[in-house]
Amino acid sequence: MTDFDLVRKNLFRKPLRTVLLIVSIFMAFLIFGLLASFNVTLENASVAGSASNRLVVANKINFTQPLPIAYVSRVATVDGVTAISHYSWFGAYFQDQRKSRFIGFAVDPDTYTRVFADTIKLPETERRAFVAERTGVLVGKSVADQYGWKVGQTVPISSNVWVKADGGRSWDMKIMGIFTGAKPADPTNAIYLHYDYLNETRTFGRDQIGNIAIVTASPDLNDRVAKTIDAAFANSPYETSTVDEKTFSRAFIKQAGDINVIITLVVAAAFAAILMIVGTTLVSAVRERTKEIGVMKTLGFSGPRVLRMVLGESMLLSVLGAGLGLGVAALALAALSKSPLASNFGDISMAPLVVVAGISLAVLLGLVTGAVPAITALRMSIVDALGRK
Amino acid sequence: MSDLIKLSNVTKNYRRSKEEINIFTGLNLTIPKGDFVAIMGPSGSGKTTLLNLLGGTDRCDRGEIVFDGEHIEAYSEGQLAAWRARNVGFVFQFYNLMPVLNAAQNVELPLMLTSLPIKKRRENVATALKIVDLSDRAKHRPKELSGGQQQRVAIARAIVSDPKLLLCDEPTGDLDRASANEILSTLQLLNRELGKTIIMVTHDPEAARFATRTLHLDKGHFVEAIS
Amino acid sequence: MSLLTQTGSVIVINIRSIPQRLWMSLATVVSIALVVAVLLGFLSLANGFRQTVGGSGAPDVAIVLRDGSTAELNSTLSRDQIDLLGQAPGVRFGADSRPLISSELMLVVDGIKKSSGTKANMPLRGIGPNGLQVRKQVRLREGRMFAPGTNEIVAGSGLLREFNGFELGRSIRFGAQTWKVVGVFEAPGTVFESELWADAAVVQSLFNRGTSFQSARVALTSPAAMAAFAAYVKNDPRLQLEAKSEQAYFASQAERSGALITYFGWPLGIIMAIGATAGALNTMYSSVSARAAEIATLRVIGFSGFSAFAGTMAEAMVLSLLGAILGTAICALGFNGLSASTLGAGFTQVAFRLQMGPALVIQAIVLAVVIGLVGGIFPGLRAARQRPLLALSAA
Repeated sequence: MTDFDLVRKNLFRKPLRTVLLIVSIFMAFLIFGLLASFNVTLENASVAGSASNRLVVANKINFTQPLPIAYVSRVATVDGVTAISHYSWFGAYFQDQRKSRFIGFAVDPDTYTRVFADTIKLPETERRAFVAERTGVLVGKSVADQYGWKVGQTVPISSNVWVKADGGRSWDMKIMGIFTGAKPADPTNAIYLHYDYLNETRTFGRDQIGNIAIVTASPDLNDRVAKTIDAAFANSPYETSTVDEKTFSRAFIKQAGDINVIITLVVAAAFAAILMIVGTTLVSAVRERTKEIGVMKTLGFSGPRVLRMVLGESMLLSVLGAGLGLGVAALALAALSKSPLASNFGDISMAPLVVVAGISLAVLLGLVTGAVPAITALRMSIVDALGRK
Repeated sequence: MSDLIKLSNVTKNYRRSKEEINIFTGLNLTIPKGDFVAIMGPSGSGKTTLLNLLGGTDRCDRGEIVFDGEHIEAYSEGQLAAWRARNVGFVFQFYNLMPVLNAAQNVELPLMLTSLPIKKRRENVATALKIVDLSDRAKHRPKELSGGQQQRVAIARAIVSDPKLLLCDEPTGDLDRASANEILSTLQLLNRELGKTIIMVTHDPEAARFATRTLHLDKGHFVEAIS
Repeated sequence: MSLLTQTGSVIVINIRSIPQRLWMSLATVVSIALVVAVLLGFLSLANGFRQTVGGSGAPDVAIVLRDGSTAELNSTLSRDQIDLLGQAPGVRFGADSRPLISSELMLVVDGIKKSSGTKANMPLRGIGPNGLQVRKQVRLREGRMFAPGTNEIVAGSGLLREFNGFELGRSIRFGAQTWKVVGVFEAPGTVFESELWADAAVVQSLFNRGTSFQSARVALTSPAAMAAFAAYVKNDPRLQLEAKSEQAYFASQAERSGALITYFGWPLGIIMAIGATAGALNTMYSSVSARAAEIATLRVIGFSGFSAFAGTMAEAMVLSLLGAILGTAICALGFNGLSASTLGAGFTQVAFRLQMGPALVIQAIVLAVVIGLVGGIFPGLRAARQRPLLALSAA
């Protein structure tokens, strides 16, 4: 028999009580596992596909305001810019606006597919075919899967922003390629069409673009390049604001609200609750064993050894509950990742960071809930313990 | 030296709320090796306190307690714990077995304080259970055993590390006459055949007869009566 | 003693004994309180947002967009189309005998969100001269309305709560132009409070929008006139527009927006409730076992098993109700009325407040009661079924 055997047997002395405690701890760690993973997913989604040396040039008023296409050639001359492209929001949908879940951009076909080669992966032959065909469109894999589209098919894509001269809002486009993202789990719910095809047929917004994407020679140059570009267009009718991709995406996600604060509050509430429940129950459970602890010490078990055993109980309890909670959370996330909603966020499975944080929390919980009963056991005098009837 | 324990000039006070109660002042006691002593006396006479001092589970305020040459009155908590594990076995009135362990596991407890390998531990446990004649009940939990059987498990636990001294506090106080006699016979056996020194506190004059001599304690002083 | 009196006495004994298990009882109360507070917090968040969006529309104002557009940002209307609207039935006329129609367009500009310090989308709305008349909920709080034809702006008070940079008297730069905030308006409980308003014509020219608008707001003679107006707009082939009541427009937006928050709130609340129930069960089992001798004595005297059951249930219910009250208080004092903002349907920020309400509080209390019931039933049954002599002999 080892100390661990004693710890285990004492912990399950009243099986129902211990099981109930495990349930409480399980719930708290389930919440933690799900919410913390959600947080990490949002953070990752916000910077998915961001490159450290890609910058976004947008209208300073707001990124939804347009820029003149003439800016592109001017920005290309800035020192440190090694590649450049532009893209414009198409407001794309297919048939029913409410059911359409993909986004569309009108882009400069050759430069865009090169600048974003890491997030638009497809065979070179298809890419070239796309560049060559004016009405061509590149479709993301999840979109193609959703509608059962194949390369070579012509589909009508509508815009809820732009209007054609004849009043129509739908452009016929030929699918030249189907692309996947940088990582297998990266979202691919986008389509890309030729800017010229849009520009030559729309009734307003002629020769305007949405944003310019540039690649710098190295991330260290980002700041300088950004400042140069913005200075060039200061005091013009279209002032610019240039930032790196990560900053741009993060600000975008933050618009939803301070999710972090809410998640932290909820997790804190859950843990405060179980801290009280488990702590008080353990104090009561150890108090029941006062005499036994006295006997252990009489037999010769030292104070520190008894303390370690009591702490061992609270740690074992905590680890069991945490293991279950994190495990079920991981399974739930794995199951959810197959759902269509999840594809918008990329990889939602539990990140290693969350697992490590969870284990640390479990250890901390074990220590805190075990502290009072363990110290009581340590300090207990044999005479007092045995004297109690 | 043939004295196992010698108490010299021991003083012990006990503080309860604001009062300080004096239990012993200048107490002397000598226990030779192989002795089987019964200690009797009215409640409040200090019997349990004496047992605590002899077993190193309480400390005296003044005086010396020498056990086989060691001055245990000077030991720290940790040293006393280790000393107890090596030298003393305890038997209590209400058995004080751990309900979550079976008989054999209860007996094994003191061996967890040694560095004996598992095989040797098992042997010692088996031997101890054999001596108290409870080998067939090894896997039973305390709640499945009668009072007498539980006390026998407790005795097995007390001797499994082969200590020199056995301290018994009212060992038959909760048992019927028949079971009590069984227990007392076993203690006699341990004393006569295995040479263990036994100090037994008891209320019961019948029980005291099993001992070699009886000491009467009254208000902190001894009065000897020859049995 | 009648069953009722028995039960009453045992209940009192049980409740009086709660302080003996103070810490565990406290833990149960606090954990239930936290469950209630979290659930109520989420529900209030959703409620506040939904109320603000849903409460923004008036039943006698029609909002006219391009046929097929789901939001103003996606819509375009021309001056000619809007002029035609003045001929529809049910349109109210102003003191100047002209139809009360406000031609509007919306742009997105950047503001700095106070809570995160990062950029956020703010709505800048160009309104027509009748802009205020088609919004009866609006009241000017400070300063004055902008003068037509100038670079002046009025800001909504909700916007000021959540974002930096638009205070009264400030000059702001959008693009190459400088604008001045000359007034602050209030429209509590509506999305209008989260907007910046300026003269539509000025907005059009300075942002190169030509002469196109995005929406028209038309004041009708009464809510009953809506149906006829909408039918006229739909049937006129020159128009290709769609009209609906402002109320209906915002109501459908509201429905979609609160759902997400509720989808999180209830599952979380239930998971926490399961954890709290396990804690409550523990406390009650511990109570029953600690008082085993007492219960047994009562039974031997003659008290029924039912009374033992009822006593335990009562104890559990008292703890859960205390928890419900504490949790509601935490939410009311800590969260209620707290200002928040998030991305609305129009892709711009909507400022709102967390809003507790009786219906929500009742939902949360029901959850607490369920926890108390489950936490009391099984231990209560154990207390009722306890064999008295056995319990006494073990003591």
